[in-house]
Amino acid sequence: MTAPRWTQRAPAWPLYLAVLVLYPLLVYPEHVLFEWTGISIGMQLTYLFIYAILALGLNVVVGYTGILHLGIAAFFGIGAYIAGILAVPAYPFQFPFWLTLVLSTAGAALLGILLGAPTLRLRGDYVAIVTLGFGEVTRFTLRNLEEITAGTRGLNPVPPPELPRALEGPLGLLGIEPDWALDYRLFYFLALGLLVAVIRLLRNLERSRLGRAWIAIREDELAATCMGINAARVKLSAFALGCGLAGMAGCLYATTLTSTAGPDAFDFNRSVLMLCCVILGGLGSVRGTLLGVLLLIGFDNVVAPVLDGLIQDADINPNGNRFLTFSNWKLMIFGLALILMMRFRPEGLLPSRRIEAELATAHDASGPAPAGVR
Amino acid sequence: MNRFVPPILLLVLLVVTTIVGFGGSSVGDPAVIKIVSSLPRTGSAKAQTDTIVNGIRIALAEAGYQSGGFDIEYADWDDATAGAGQWTAEAETANASRAVRDPDVMIYIGTYNSGAAKISMPILNKAQLLMISPANTWPGLTKPDKGDPGEPEIYRPTGEVSYVRMVPTDDLQGPAGAAWAKELGVQRVYVLDDNEVYGKGIATLFIEACQDLGIEVLGHESIDSKAQEFKPLMATIKGLNPDLVYFGGTTQSKGGQIAKDLVAAGPNCKLMVPDACYENAFIESAGAENVNDRVYVTFGGLPPDQLTGAGRTFVEKYKQLYGKEPEGYAIYGYESGKVALEAIRLAGVKNRDAIRKAALSIKDFDRGALGTWSFDANGDATLKTISGIAIRNGRFEFVKLLGQ
Amino acid sequence: MMLPTLLAAADSSDAWQTFLQYALIGLANGALFALVALGYTMVYGIIELINFAHGDVFMLGSFLALTLIGAMVEYFGWNWTDPAMLWLGLGMLLIVVPVFCAALNVTIDRAVYKPLRGAPKLAPLVSAIGVSFVLMNVGLLWGGAADRHFPDLVSRENLLGEGAALSFTYKDLMVVAVTVPIMIALTLFVKGTKLGTAMRATAQDPLAAQLMGINVDRVIGVTFALGGALAGAASVIYGLYINTVSYQMGFTNGLYAFTAAVLGGIGNIPGAVLGGLVIGLARSFGSGYVGERWTSALVFVILIAILVFRPAGLLGTHTREKV
Repeated sequence: MTAPRWTQRAPAWPLYLAVLVLYPLLVYPEHVLFEWTGISIGMQLTYLFIYAILALGLNVVVGYTGILHLGIAAFFGIGAYIAGILAVPAYPFQFPFWLTLVLSTAGAALLGILLGAPTLRLRGDYVAIVTLGFGEVTRFTLRNLEEITAGTRGLNPVPPPELPRALEGPLGLLGIEPDWALDYRLFYFLALGLLVAVIRLLRNLERSRLGRAWIAIREDELAATCMGINAARVKLSAFALGCGLAGMAGCLYATTLTSTAGPDAFDFNRSVLMLCCVILGGLGSVRGTLLGVLLLIGFDNVVAPVLDGLIQDADINPNGNRFLTFSNWKLMIFGLALILMMRFRPEGLLPSRRIEAELATAHDASGPAPAGVR
Repeated sequence: MNRFVPPILLLVLLVVTTIVGFGGSSVGDPAVIKIVSSLPRTGSAKAQTDTIVNGIRIALAEAGYQSGGFDIEYADWDDATAGAGQWTAEAETANASRAVRDPDVMIYIGTYNSGAAKISMPILNKAQLLMISPANTWPGLTKPDKGDPGEPEIYRPTGEVSYVRMVPTDDLQGPAGAAWAKELGVQRVYVLDDNEVYGKGIATLFIEACQDLGIEVLGHESIDSKAQEFKPLMATIKGLNPDLVYFGGTTQSKGGQIAKDLVAAGPNCKLMVPDACYENAFIESAGAENVNDRVYVTFGGLPPDQLTGAGRTFVEKYKQLYGKEPEGYAIYGYESGKVALEAIRLAGVKNRDAIRKAALSIKDFDRGALGTWSFDANGDATLKTISGIAIRNGRFEFVKLLGQ
Repeated sequence: MMLPTLLAAADSSDAWQTFLQYALIGLANGALFALVALGYTMVYGIIELINFAHGDVFMLGSFLALTLIGAMVEYFGWNWTDPAMLWLGLGMLLIVVPVFCAALNVTIDRAVYKPLRGAPKLAPLVSAIGVSFVLMNVGLLWGGAADRHFPDLVSRENLLGEGAALSFTYKDLMVVAVTVPIMIALTLFVKGTKLGTAMRATAQDPLAAQLMGINVDRVIGVTFALGGALAGAASVIYGLYINTVSYQMGFTNGLYAFTAAVLGGIGNIPGAVLGGLVIGLARSFGSGYVGERWTSALVFVILIAILVFRPAGLLGTHTREKV
């Protein structure tokens, strides 16, 4: 049976989007799922959208341009703290949300440029360690500059965005309360909207001159330079964009949490986790990155607590034996997943077509290459 | 064609959950009231929170899981994740929202960390949901002018008090520690803290009290609680030759390592730590030989082995049920459970605001194990007992009541 | 906090001695970082892989040492306070633990990294992160989440006499007495033996080395074994010197060791030693003269600064990336 022509041409994304838009409107307040597990899928999805923006930012740097960035959490944190400083009542600024969003994005991008300009010319692994080091420096700076960042106490409360009067009516029709703290759906739609905007931006960039230059650099920096691409500038633009998107995600994170959390929320673990999302899903692939975030963050935030809850309810572990606590096995599962993935599907779950094709030819042509040569 | 399968499946799943979703109850069971606790149940604070949860369970079991004509259900929630090994802002936010959204939840017991309370307090306050903390000691959560500017109003968006606690706060414990140091003949101190809300707060209060008492403060330094060793820092301290080192921090933020590096570096001085190190894990992680006869601990309330009356009975019962001595905070878990039951009994209705008001009206409460006390207007209990404890022969030994 | 400390140091007549004390502590810690860093740098030199799991191999070594110390008391009635038995026991630990770590490291390489030799560079890197997670989880299940006390077996008696302002203890001596010979032996091995020459040849150009009849697989195996053994030796010394082990220590120490390797010029053996010592000293002087809470940040600031001005690290020669 052949499918009708239109189904072969029509894109699938409107369907996904429709599901994501309809879910919170129809399934609210999620009684059944919620009473079973105590987990609000809608609220967790809000965090997933935020992490998706962060991961897409990382994907620009690692996936498109091939720069190994191990400090993306620092820029996430910088965005969160810029938003915190500009919005909390303890400071005199108290800018509206849209302005803090723009300034966090710009601020993180600017810091990315300041870090990237002198260091991106280093060879690949050195850039990785520089970004890692910068991540740690940022964490300690946020921690120690207490007069500005309130140290480990975090800046709070970060006020929610001002809701335009005009929106209250339509929201009421949809059954959404106009209170950011009581109804998660306002943040849900805000995060979803920004995520869609970011995806659109990246899709357009991918096909632009700049996007092609990024990929050319990833494939062969020398050849790209010979073709007249200014490697330093092109790399820096990708780095700035990635860091900026991370800053934007950070601003959204702080606003959703109503707090900048603490400096430890932006540590190396977070960077590695985001990197794993991008690689698991498929380097350089927007769809893949989204899937990676769904699987890994979803596992960490939804599956693991649910399973732990079930074990607790079943009362099979009354003495708190550490071998019977699910969360004590989480790192193991995570690690094994990464290892198996790299062994059997190194291009990721939903690879970008280009990388997929490349890997296929590489295997056909040479077989296993000797170590160090690729 | 098959690329349409995932979204279509998702859509089907959505429709199914929607249909099933309408079958669920939104009002809850009118005869059941749920009490939940949100504490770090994974990671390094687990030993302490285990005993808090056990304390809550004993209190509820004594009442037969009944109060004010309602059946009481209890759920033990975790605000830590394995990945972080400690509480996280996301988990605490999720717990608070979950409590707010569950119509059966009338009381929220938590948190362990003051930093976590800062996040859940405003969320719960908006829903007028009573929050009882068994362990938060940061003064700013309740007391005006004792914390940061804006505290505690920023935690009370409705303007009403919805948070109560029994634990004596750091502004009592810090100065009591300083006064005790003076009695011990200390003239020069060096102060360390772990750069966390709790540790930094109590260290600052300790320093202020030292200055009032005329004890010379040689220096104040924050450590990185992820560092592995503090040998250079201890060399610095040795050069300054203090009589006592005060560490504002917890076992989890390297209290044990501080104790052993201090001994190894050789300044023959005492070490004083606050209540967060008052747990056997502290002695274990430091090595008993490194803390015997040189470490002093302050603790808000009486240690389990000094309790009399109802407190004594609680400790006996605890040992019988769980086969070991309760840690210091167990009794606050027990008292939190008792307060929760009392608030439900006084209110007599399943209504969050009524229960919140009932809790704040508690006066001369003596059904628990801590003696007789009342809540003041801020939601703090009028308990002001601070114990001085020393470590001898690898065990905590009560020395005296402080500040009396 | 910097100023009071500085002033106090300047006031006292023994500011110089305090300085020396920081230097001694820094060198001892640095020597430990260097031992771990060697494992990173050798593996990187051969297969250009940042072996994130290396720090966790080190961590498991410490747990093994801790378990063995307890088991020897329990099953053989080992008396660790008797000097003869103490030195014999430590000697045994310094053989058993490195062998275990070497075997573990080789197993990891054979099971995980070897099938990925032809894959793009990120694949083994992510696998290494995965292995690191798995090993960390093993550590968590083995030792629990809290810090564990490692018995204080080596005396902290001051070699310079009781009451001397400067302290150099038996423990400090132990660190030097174990790490320095190991490093010398390693240098001799790499420079002087046939296998060592094969290692250097493979690091320079694996394909050419293979064409010259070098069994590249075997060289890689030996490299992993050596790196693991060094980490194992370091883990025993670390436990005895720092007296605390925890499942997260692999990450922290791995990070510093890796930084040390990059600082010295990754792939360069003397560079790793130099990098380790620089980091040890930076932490120590940072704590003494800048402020304890800035020490870790300081290490990374130094790293970034050095890389900006010397892009190949302190001792690294700037080679073009293989195209």
